[in-house]
Amino acid sequence: MKILTTVKRVVDVELTIHVQDGAIVEEGLQYVINAWDESAVETCVQLKENNGAETTLVSIGGEDNVDIIRRAYAIGIENGIHINDPALTEADSFVYAKVLQKVYEKGDYDLVITGKQAQDTDSGQTGIILAEYLGLPCVSNVIGIEVIDDQHIKASRLGDAGTEIVELELPALVTVDVSINEPRLPATRGIMMAKKKPITVMDLAALGTSLDEVGGAGLKSEIVEFIPQEERKGGQKFEGDAAEITAQVVDLLANEAKVL
Amino acid sequence: MAKALVVADIKQGVLKGSTAELLSKAKAIGVETAVAAIGSNIESLIPSLVNAGSDTQYVADDPALELFSAGPYASCVVDAAKQFGANLILFGFSESGKAVAPRVAAQLDAACATDITDVMLQGDQIEVIRPAITNKVLQRVKANTEQMVAVVRAGAFEATEGITGTENVAKLSPPEPDLKAVIKEIVSDAGSEIDLADANVVISVGRGAKDQAGIDLVKELANDLQAGFGSSRAMVDAGLLPHSKQVGQTGKIVAPTLYIAIGISGAIQHLAGMKGSKVILAVNKDPEAPIFNVADYGIVGDLFEVVPILREEIKKIGS
Repeated sequence: MKILTTVKRVVDVELTIHVQDGAIVEEGLQYVINAWDESAVETCVQLKENNGAETTLVSIGGEDNVDIIRRAYAIGIENGIHINDPALTEADSFVYAKVLQKVYEKGDYDLVITGKQAQDTDSGQTGIILAEYLGLPCVSNVIGIEVIDDQHIKASRLGDAGTEIVELELPALVTVDVSINEPRLPATRGIMMAKKKPITVMDLAALGTSLDEVGGAGLKSEIVEFIPQEERKGGQKFEGDAAEITAQVVDLLANEAKVL
Repeated sequence: MAKALVVADIKQGVLKGSTAELLSKAKAIGVETAVAAIGSNIESLIPSLVNAGSDTQYVADDPALELFSAGPYASCVVDAAKQFGANLILFGFSESGKAVAPRVAAQLDAACATDITDVMLQGDQIEVIRPAITNKVLQRVKANTEQMVAVVRAGAFEATEGITGTENVAKLSPPEPDLKAVIKEIVSDAGSEIDLADANVVISVGRGAKDQAGIDLVKELANDLQAGFGSSRAMVDAGLLPHSKQVGQTGKIVAPTLYIAIGISGAIQHLAGMKGSKVILAVNKDPEAPIFNVADYGIVGDLFEVVPILREEIKKIGS
């Protein structure tokens, strides 16, 4: 089985994000591998270990993306494709999906695994749109994958009424939730080996496409501005005799907030 | 006049409140409204669809649509959107909505925004507001297309009191089944419990509850209040509660009228999932717990002592 996984480099959400004049303040930001994509990489490596698979990772972005590709190598991913083209700086989910479609069509993949969303946009669109473009069967928000045979997998998806068990015919695409696994940390030996491993770097031309063809010249939507999120403020905090303060708070919930 | 198609949120044969909320918002911004209802045996829901504020009802009623399958559901929405000539296609906040919306956008070549908290029309220009980067900032997003597909965050809009519509039913033909992604079964771990996403009151339990006995204690309070029962990530990671209960960035995002956090310290991850609640009450032993920075009311105390008193005091109000 040949598996393709996608990895995005995103802002570290553990840090404070500042907004000034409608834009994110770049200074002080740090970048990490998207948490959901980290779970997608781990899913690939587990499938490789348990069922036998050839794993390829693709990441779209600038020079710094090399770090996250090497990190994935250190964990066990075998091939890395780096789409590095300055024209893609202002891309959206549809453009990414078009670029990934080109990557997919150059390989002979049986399964595509993406994270269900990226923690910078929280959109959750790219994987599903990619499946639409490729005409592949797709299940999103997947929390478990079981290989049935060469042509079929079973995916467990967290749905509205419970866990939906879906049988997919390959080739197929799944987007995974972080709860699917606990991504491993790269071992020192893996990190050393990863440094020497080659990465296939391509721009849009090398991929056989152009900014126009992937829709990058006319985005379907654009961010007009970023607005700082109004932070909630703490209200009244009560300490002291449990019976007394609890009664007081219940009274406030009923008569001040009027929510009981 | 611009047109909005709202995809009805139907769970276990019941029309959820978000449908009326979305239709109310659509009417408030002055657009013509229709609803798309997809499922099996849903004919009886037509009066509720009208009462929710729709002026046209596109109904796909077929036994094959009983279990959710994103492909066929998307085909029905695309069909309804084309027939209606919808500019705006709105989904309520649900896992099925999140799965279907990008498919519909790709098929219609429309813009797509998930998790929106507001939508505006400037002439024909559609704009939305949505949180991003783990709820840390808001984005104002403008569609460059005439059509936008959007998933609306829970609790973003309120239903207009006395809203109603007109009955004008259009039947959709049943879609082709997705033979390459076949839903085999749904394993329910929520049973008949109250749905977290649309509960008025949500009570979540965290590490402070320690074990099953602590969880059961908090569950009793949730039962008293007919509240949705949620959890912090710590309890899920510890294997004490299923992932479906997790409130937070990587779990469910809720925005109830009252959110009660019990024994939850308030990690960023958790706050991202409940900060949109109208009123927050926190109970925690540690007066420095970050949860108190977002709570409107805070009780500093041991939950094992406080929760039974809470139950007593709340019962007094009810009687």
